[in-house]
Amino acid sequence: MATEGMLRQQMLHRLYADHHGWLNGWLRRQLGCNQRAADLAQDTFVRVLSKDQDMAAIREPRAYLHTIAKGLLINHWRRRQIEQAYLDALALQPEPVVPSPESQALIVETLLQIDAMLMRLPTRVRSAFLMSQLHGMTYAAIAAELGVSERMVKKYMSQAMLHCLMLVEDD
Amino acid sequence: MGIDYRVLQEAAKWFAVLQSGSASRAEHQAWSAWLEQPEHARAWARIERISGQFQPLAADPVGRSAGGLLHSRRSNRRQALKMLSVLCGGTALSLASGHIPWRQWTADERTAVGEVRDVKLADGSNLWLNTDTALDIAFDTKTRRLTLYRGELLIEAPASRRARPLLVTSREGRLYSEQAARFSVRQDDGRTRVSVFAGIVDIQLDGFGITSIPAGQQTAFGSRGVEPLEAASAEHQAWTTGVLLADNQRLEDFLAELSRYRHGYLGCDPRIADLRVVGAFPLADTERVLDALAATLPVRIERRMAWWVSLEPAIERAGV
Repeated sequence: MATEGMLRQQMLHRLYADHHGWLNGWLRRQLGCNQRAADLAQDTFVRVLSKDQDMAAIREPRAYLHTIAKGLLINHWRRRQIEQAYLDALALQPEPVVPSPESQALIVETLLQIDAMLMRLPTRVRSAFLMSQLHGMTYAAIAAELGVSERMVKKYMSQAMLHCLMLVEDD
Repeated sequence: MGIDYRVLQEAAKWFAVLQSGSASRAEHQAWSAWLEQPEHARAWARIERISGQFQPLAADPVGRSAGGLLHSRRSNRRQALKMLSVLCGGTALSLASGHIPWRQWTADERTAVGEVRDVKLADGSNLWLNTDTALDIAFDTKTRRLTLYRGELLIEAPASRRARPLLVTSREGRLYSEQAARFSVRQDDGRTRVSVFAGIVDIQLDGFGITSIPAGQQTAFGSRGVEPLEAASAEHQAWTTGVLLADNQRLEDFLAELSRYRHGYLGCDPRIADLRVVGAFPLADTERVLDALAATLPVRIERRMAWWVSLEPAIERAGV
């Protein structure tokens, strides 16, 4: 076991030495920011390390790293969009409000979690679910908004919930 | 331990039925029976956890409004760049701890079920939003316009210094006021209700011309025109102070009002529907209101689940 772990370490080291510069450069072009690129490149290797995969089996290391880095990049953009949306929403409040940094972080994290959970749902299904759970809208109101029947809204609701149910684990 | 796919499917269906808010008693009983199996209960616990994830957002107006973004698909890099003003350095959120940029008055206001909120408008007006309300505010140089989509508002507007009339649009028609006024507008199904407490409010209805409502009067209007005026009742402004007023109201009607402030089903047995309710009740705690009813009327509360509360006669006939 110890030798296997050491072998893994060596392979990762090799992967890092051979491709880190290339990955960093690619991320820098995507982000236009050295610091962020360095962070995301680091995250990419951490992700590789945490995946329980036989590294010798990686035939195309750059394609592999590229796939992982792209996923992280999309998450990064999405997080920035959500943070931005949160700021916009704050700015639109009728009274100037400055929630504590903790509560801001909590809301943004919750938004991200829900976003990740609903990401793969069809747009209408996701919208129906959000209108109900986030905005407390009735099925009639959702149906009117989406231009579908209330029965369809009910179907969407159960489809969305089934999707979420399959994603979460029991405590 | 995994849960059978078929059970998850059933659970999701029950969720959709119960969440509709119009589940029948028979459906509720069938659900209760279904829930008795341990695996079903485990699936339901998952549902409550998922649904609970929305709570911190739904309770926070900023979070709710930011949640609008979640309706859209995840975007590509170009869209992301277009939207983001800051890309490098610390996270965007650190900006918020300093100052909040002040925007034009083009806001989308919403309240959650059970929430009552007041808003100070740019012209010095006070606006209250009752439970489960959605409206747009659009002030420009010519008019001050509110569009009520759902729920109930009360506005207390000073006389306009720049002769900008105040317009409130509902689904059925328009309300118009040029002087200082205080009035409430409620969007019901197919009907708009208006109660005027100060000033004069004109109802403009296509095909029915203009009807003026003076202070102290209330009415409703819809596709068949404006209903006869009657004395404005205090309950239509008491909610702004967090009070639900009942002046000799039928229990069934009172519960229908109370249920606007809470999620789920709230109803009563037909045998007690005509009992009368009198009093002032705190809107912030609808459970306490129910307890107060049980303490003063010959009724008992049947809590079948968090979303399902029914008031029953206090003494069930034996053997039925």
